Amino acid sequence: MATRGVGLGLALLALLLTSAPALVAQDSAAVELDPRLGVPDDAPLSGPALEALTQEISSLIRCPVCQGLSVADSPTTSAVAMQDEVRRLLAAGYSGDQVLVYFETSYGEFIRLEPKAQGFNLVVWIAPFAFLLIGAALVAMRVRSSRAQLADNASRSAPRSASQSQEESQDVDHDPHNEPERDPSLEAYRQRVREEVKP
Amino acid sequence: MNRRVLVVGAILVLPLVWVLGMGLGKDPKRIESPLVGKPAPAFELVDLAGNTVRLEDLAGKPALINFWSTWCVPCVYEHPVLVAAARRYRDRVQFIGVIYQDEPTTIRAYLARSGAWGPSLIDPTGRTAIAFGVYGVPETFILDRSGTITAKYDGALDPATVDALLAEVL
Amino acid sequence: MMSLLGQSLVLVGLAACAVGAPLAFTAGARRSQVGVTAARWLAHLFSVAMVLATATMIVALVRHDFSVSYVAEVGSLATPLVITIVSLWSSLAGSILLWGLILALFTTIYCLTDRASQIDESAYTLGTLLSVGLFFSFLIAGPANPFGTTPSPIPLDGPGPNPLLQNHALMIIHPPTLYLGYVGMVVPFAIALAALLAGRMPAKRLQTMRTWLLVPVGFLSLGIMLGGWWSYEVLGWGGYWAWDPVENASLLPWLTAVAALHSAMAQQRRGTLKAWTIILVLVSFLLTILGTFLTRSGVVNSVHAFSQSSIGPTILTFFGICLVAVVVILALRVDRLQSAPASEALTSRAGAILLNNLVLVAFTFTVLIGTLFPIIAEAVRGVKVSVGEPYFNRMAIPLGFGLLFLLGVGPALPWGTSDSRQVRKALLTPLPAALVGMVLMAWLGKPSGSLLLTGALGGYALWVTFDQALRPGRAGRGKRSGTRQGFSLLAVMRSPRRLGAYVVHFGFIMTFIAIAVSSTFQTDAEATLQAGDTMEIGEYQLRFEALRVVEEPHLTAQRARMVVLRREGGKELAILEPALNVYPSQREPLAAPAVRSSPTHDLYLTLMNTGLDGTVGIRAILTPAVIWIWIGVLMMSLGTVLCLMPNRRPSTTLEGPVEQATEGGAA
Repeated sequence: MATRGVGLGLALLALLLTSAPALVAQDSAAVELDPRLGVPDDAPLSGPALEALTQEISSLIRCPVCQGLSVADSPTTSAVAMQDEVRRLLAAGYSGDQVLVYFETSYGEFIRLEPKAQGFNLVVWIAPFAFLLIGAALVAMRVRSSRAQLADNASRSAPRSASQSQEESQDVDHDPHNEPERDPSLEAYRQRVREEVKP
Repeated sequence: MNRRVLVVGAILVLPLVWVLGMGLGKDPKRIESPLVGKPAPAFELVDLAGNTVRLEDLAGKPALINFWSTWCVPCVYEHPVLVAAARRYRDRVQFIGVIYQDEPTTIRAYLARSGAWGPSLIDPTGRTAIAFGVYGVPETFILDRSGTITAKYDGALDPATVDALLAEVL
Repeated sequence: MMSLLGQSLVLVGLAACAVGAPLAFTAGARRSQVGVTAARWLAHLFSVAMVLATATMIVALVRHDFSVSYVAEVGSLATPLVITIVSLWSSLAGSILLWGLILALFTTIYCLTDRASQIDESAYTLGTLLSVGLFFSFLIAGPANPFGTTPSPIPLDGPGPNPLLQNHALMIIHPPTLYLGYVGMVVPFAIALAALLAGRMPAKRLQTMRTWLLVPVGFLSLGIMLGGWWSYEVLGWGGYWAWDPVENASLLPWLTAVAALHSAMAQQRRGTLKAWTIILVLVSFLLTILGTFLTRSGVVNSVHAFSQSSIGPTILTFFGICLVAVVVILALRVDRLQSAPASEALTSRAGAILLNNLVLVAFTFTVLIGTLFPIIAEAVRGVKVSVGEPYFNRMAIPLGFGLLFLLGVGPALPWGTSDSRQVRKALLTPLPAALVGMVLMAWLGKPSGSLLLTGALGGYALWVTFDQALRPGRAGRGKRSGTRQGFSLLAVMRSPRRLGAYVVHFGFIMTFIAIAVSSTFQTDAEATLQAGDTMEIGEYQLRFEALRVVEEPHLTAQRARMVVLRREGGKELAILEPALNVYPSQREPLAAPAVRSSPTHDLYLTLMNTGLDGTVGIRAILTPAVIWIWIGVLMMSLGTVLCLMPNRRPSTTLEGPVEQATEGGAA
C-alpha cells in the first residue's frame, strides 16, 4: 500500500510537471459522448505517470466477472477492457476520483473495491481503530493495576518469590539467562517445592 | 453470574446473528443497476452492416438493448426467445444487440446459422458496455420513448419476462 | 442400496451422539465413571459409523453409482479415479460428510488420549464434542444429505466435479488440510468449555488444551498456505491472497488461536490471563462455525461459496445456539476461575504477550468487520458494497508490522519485571541486526518505507529468534564445562517445544519478508504476439511458437507454446504453456497460468486472449521470492509439529521430574 502511495505521489508530481494542455485536447474533447463525465478536472496525462495512476485507480475497481479481484489484478478480457477505459479517461485529464465516480454511476457502489469513506461506510473505517483504542486502554489499565501489585509484592518479597519459583519450575521453556540470580537459601526452598510436586 | 460478561456478550451476539440472518435471504450476486430511472448512456456504434447507430436515433420509440456474445451459453439459450420477440413487437419496439467482446466474423457466422433479431452493434473497446455497467452477458436494458432506462435484466430472457419488461414501456 | 447403507450409518452416528452427549454431561455432573466410559464407547461408535459412511460414499463414487444423489451431482464416467475420490469434497454435501468424519476421528483420538485428573473435566469435554457431533451428523442425515436417492430414471452419467477442482494437484490436499484445522478447533473448545463447567483449569489441563490447540493451528497454517499456493498456480492473476471471504474465514480462527497459544504461555508462566485464554479458545471455535456459515450459505460472494444452499439457516441456528451457550456459561462460571493478579510491566515478556494479544485480536476484528460489512451495509442501507483488497491491505499491513515488531521485542524481554538496565541491554543488543536488515533491503534497489521497516524489524526479530532458539545449547555447555565457549546442538534438540516455537517465529519472519519483497518488486509486461514474435521481461526473452487446441473430456484448452530464453546469449531455458480453459459450465474462459519457479524469482505467464488471426495476448509477471512464502509457512507448520513433541531433559537437571509431570497431560 505504501508503495502505491508513493506511486500516486510521483504521478501527481509528474502531472504538475507535464501539464502541457494541448497534447490530447483535440482527442478528448470530441470523444466524450457521455454527459455524466462532464469536464476533466485535471490536465491530460501520459507516459509513466499515466501508467502509475492507471494502476492505482484500477486497483480500486472491482473486476465484475471475477471473485473479489481488482481490474488491475485480473487477467480477464472484461477487466482489461475496463483498465483500458480507466487509462483513456485519465489520459484525457479526468481525475482519479472522477473516473471512480463514473464507474460508480454505471455499476453502483459495488464496483468500488474499498468502500467510500462517507455515511454509514465510516463504520468499517473507524471501528477497527476504535477497537484498537479500547483494547489499548484495557491493556493500560491492566498494566497500571499490576504496577500497584508489583509494588505490593516488593514489600512482601519472600513468600511471593517462593510461589513464583513453583510457577517457573513448571515452565515449558527453561531460560536461565532470564532468571534472577539464584541465592542459596532460595535454592533450598526450590528443592523442597520440587520434592513436593514430584508425583 | 457475572452480569458484565452477560451484557457485553449480548451486545456482541445479538446484532451479529441479526445481520447474518438478514443476509440469508439475499443473493450476493444480484446487484441493482443505478441506471434504472436515469437516461441511458449516450453511444455511437457501428453495426455489422456498417451503419452508425446513436442513442439519439432510438428516441421516440421504446427500445430493448441486449448485450451478448457467441461464447456465452445463456445468450445462446435466449437467442430464439429474442428472435420471436423481435418478430412479435416488430413495429412497436426497437431491438438492438450490442456485441460483448467477440469478433465480427464469429458473430456473422453465428447469425447466419441462428438468425438475426436486430442490428448487432460492435463495441470494440467495450466502452459502451462499461457505460451501461454490464457485469456479464447476457444483460438486457429496456428504454422508454424518451430514452430513459426503465429496467435491467441479468441472465437469459424467457418470453414471459420479455413481455413483462416491455409492458411497462408500451 | 448404497444410499440406504450410507443413510443408516449416518443415523447410527447420529444416535450415538444423541445418547452420548447427554450421558456424558450427566456423568460429569454426577461424577460417574461408568457414565463416562459408556459415553466414550458411544464416541467410538460415532467414529466407526462415520468412517464406514465415508467409505460407503467413496465406494459409491468409484463405482459410479448414480443412484446416490451426491454421486449423480459430482460424478462422471470420464473423470479419472483420483479426481473421483477427491470429489468427495468437491461439493457441499460431501464436504460436510468429510467434516463429520474428521470430527468423529478427533473425538475418538481425544477419548484415547484423555488424561484428565477429574471425571467431570473429561465428561464435560466429551459431552461438548458429542454435542457438536450431534449437530454435524444431523446435518449429514438431513439438510445436507449426500446419501439421497436419485429419482428415477437414474442417469447413466453425471456432470463431474467443479472444473476448478480438476485443475491442480494442490486441490487434492488443500481442502482436507484446512478441514483438519477447522474441525480440530473443536477439541480445545470442548476442553475450555469443560473447564468453565467444572469451574477449574489446573495447569495440567491447560497444557492439554495448548497441545490440542497446536493441532488445528498447524493444520490451518498449512491449509491457508496451500490455498494461497493453489490460487497462485490456478487462478492466473499472479497473486496468492485476495482477501476473499473464504480466505478471511480461515484466517480468523488462526489469529485468535495464535493469540490463545501466547496468552496460555503467560498463564503457564505467571498464572494470569486464565479467563482471557479460555475466551480466545471459545472464540476460535465460534469463528470456525461462522466461517462455515459464510462459506456454505451463499451470503457472501466468494470463489468457494456454494450457491444459495439450503443449509444456511441450519448452520446459523447452530451458530446462534453456540453463541448463547458460550455467553451464558461464561457469565455463570467465569468468576470461579481464579487468575493470579495482574503482574505485567509493559517491558516484560508478559507485557509483550498482552500487546501481541491486543494486535492479534484487533487484526481479527478488522478482518471480521471487513468480511461482514457487505452484509451489514445491505441490511442497514439496502445497498451492495465491496470490501476488498485495498481496504484490507491498508488496515492489515500496519497491524502486521506491529506483530513483527512484537515478535522481535517480546522474546528478547525477560519474564517478570527486572531492573530497567537489564531490559535496556536485552533490547539494544539486537539493534545492529536491524540496521543490517535495513541496509540489505535498501541494497535491493527500491527503498520504500515499508520495505525498510520490514528490513529493520525483520533483522531485529531474526537476531532475537536465533539467539533465543540456540540459548539452551550455549547455556547447557557453559554450565557443565564452566566455559562460556562451546555450543551443544543436543541441548537445543532436547527441548523441541522451545525450538519449535522459534522455528514458527522464523517461518513467520521469512514469510513476512518474502511477501514484502515480492509485492514491492513485482514487474509485469503484456504483449500481443504473432507466432515467432518475442517479448522481454527482466532477464528473459519469451518467444511465442504456436497455439494448439487440446480437447479434453470436460474442457477445451488453448495452449500457447512459449520458449523462455535468456535475454543475453539467447540460451533456451524452458518451455512454458499458459492456457485458456473453456469449460461448458463457465461464463468466461479460465486462464491456466504456467509458472517457472526458482529460488530467487518466479516467471509467471498467463494467456489472456487469442485472436482469430492466430495472435495471443500474453501477460508475463516476474515476482521475486515467491517460493519463500510457501517455505516460510511450511516452516511454521513444521515448528508446530516440533512444539507437539515431548521435551527431553537430561536427568541431572532439577526441572526433570516436574517437567515430566506436566508432560503427562500433554501426551
